[in-house]
Amino acid sequence: MSQPDNIRDLYELYALGLLEEPELSQVEEELRSGSTEARARLRNAMENNAIILANVPVVEPGKGLRARVIGSVGAPAANRHWMWVMGTVAAGLLIGVIYLGTVNSQKETQLAEVRGQMQSVLSQSAVANAELRKARQVLSFLNSAETKVVTFGPKDPKPPRGRVLLHPNRGVVLIASNLPPAPAGKIYEMWVIRKGRNPVPAGLFQTDADGNGIHIQEGTVTADVLVAVTLEPESGSAQPTTTPLFAAGL
Amino acid sequence: MSFLLSFLFAAFESRQDGELIARLKRRDQKAMSDLYDRFGKLVYSVILRIVKEPGTTEDLTQETFMRVWNRAQFIDEEKGAIGPWILAVARNRAIDYLRSVDGRMAQKSTEFDPGMEQPASFSRVERDILNSDRARVLREAFTKLTPNQRVVIEMAYYEGLSQTEMADRMKQPLGTVKTWVRTALQVLRNELEEVVPV
Repeated sequence: MSQPDNIRDLYELYALGLLEEPELSQVEEELRSGSTEARARLRNAMENNAIILANVPVVEPGKGLRARVIGSVGAPAANRHWMWVMGTVAAGLLIGVIYLGTVNSQKETQLAEVRGQMQSVLSQSAVANAELRKARQVLSFLNSAETKVVTFGPKDPKPPRGRVLLHPNRGVVLIASNLPPAPAGKIYEMWVIRKGRNPVPAGLFQTDADGNGIHIQEGTVTADVLVAVTLEPESGSAQPTTTPLFAAGL
Repeated sequence: MSFLLSFLFAAFESRQDGELIARLKRRDQKAMSDLYDRFGKLVYSVILRIVKEPGTTEDLTQETFMRVWNRAQFIDEEKGAIGPWILAVARNRAIDYLRSVDGRMAQKSTEFDPGMEQPASFSRVERDILNSDRARVLREAFTKLTPNQRVVIEMAYYEGLSQTEMADRMKQPLGTVKTWVRTALQVLRNELEEVVPV
């Protein structure tokens, strides 16, 4: 087998980061040469790797994972059922609006009112729904015997203060006060840190004008973790870029 | 007709990819839920296949999506393939975890190279590759591998073992393992060449 054929067979391993010497240097040399064939081979290898990786039995993740992932970037994880209900309500109202508009063009003022009411109801419902959900989650944490509570801040001269609630199957709730709203372009990011491992991002949050904030990170969590909060760019960071403002652990 | 439909479907998927990448770059939080709805189950399944622990899999799935969110500005919205990229990120997170657990990180002769998960590397990779004819052919081609060939492919993709590590694990000469790996990849590639010339 000629050397080019040998190398050609190894691009998948190269793309997986598994190629060893001396073949590694040969492939890198071929890629550095600017050969269009080598680039095409690498592209094909990456496509093949994606297909092979995707050739796994598909398993349904736990129900909380979606909310946890979406919550990591600070977005409220809309409940699909509620979205459907709200969508249906909105569609019904919209049909009503169209009907009114068709029946009587003199009802423009009423239509404007209906539209305004519809928007108001939808936005109020969304906010109330999110707040209600958050309050229920915190209550549920507080009521569970498995929840462990850690207090942080009371000894600091300029505290933020608060509590971290840890539940092995439900996740972490952070209740903070005296934490001024993050400045423009910045946001607070919570981290869950297991001993000997890198901090894992656990969601972005903001506090209100009074310095109060509640952040919920759903999921499983071991009892030996440390929970920390840092100030990060508003898009969040994969790893902390500033010193923790506070940290709490059992 | 079916060709036309698959062409239209691919064009639609490609446009969706571009729009999704553009929204991720704008830090549109709704884009994250769309990204999860599209790839969450697959990412979770790939990571679970590698680490085999549901709790850790959830942690690593979250890490994967955060990494994609934080690096989305580097992927080309015109040509970047988000599906293959997110799978590479997911695999790397899971293999990295395996290595940290069993101490392989320190022993490995070649450092684990995450270079191939750089978003820019996924420019010009076919966007709809996971739904393509090639994907179907490759899945069928797996049945043509011998048991040893299948084992080494699984060790490479789902355990992140180098050929030297495979030889140690299987107590076989390195040359034999290299032949199995090379032949397995050739079998898979030959099947694919009948669909799209490499």
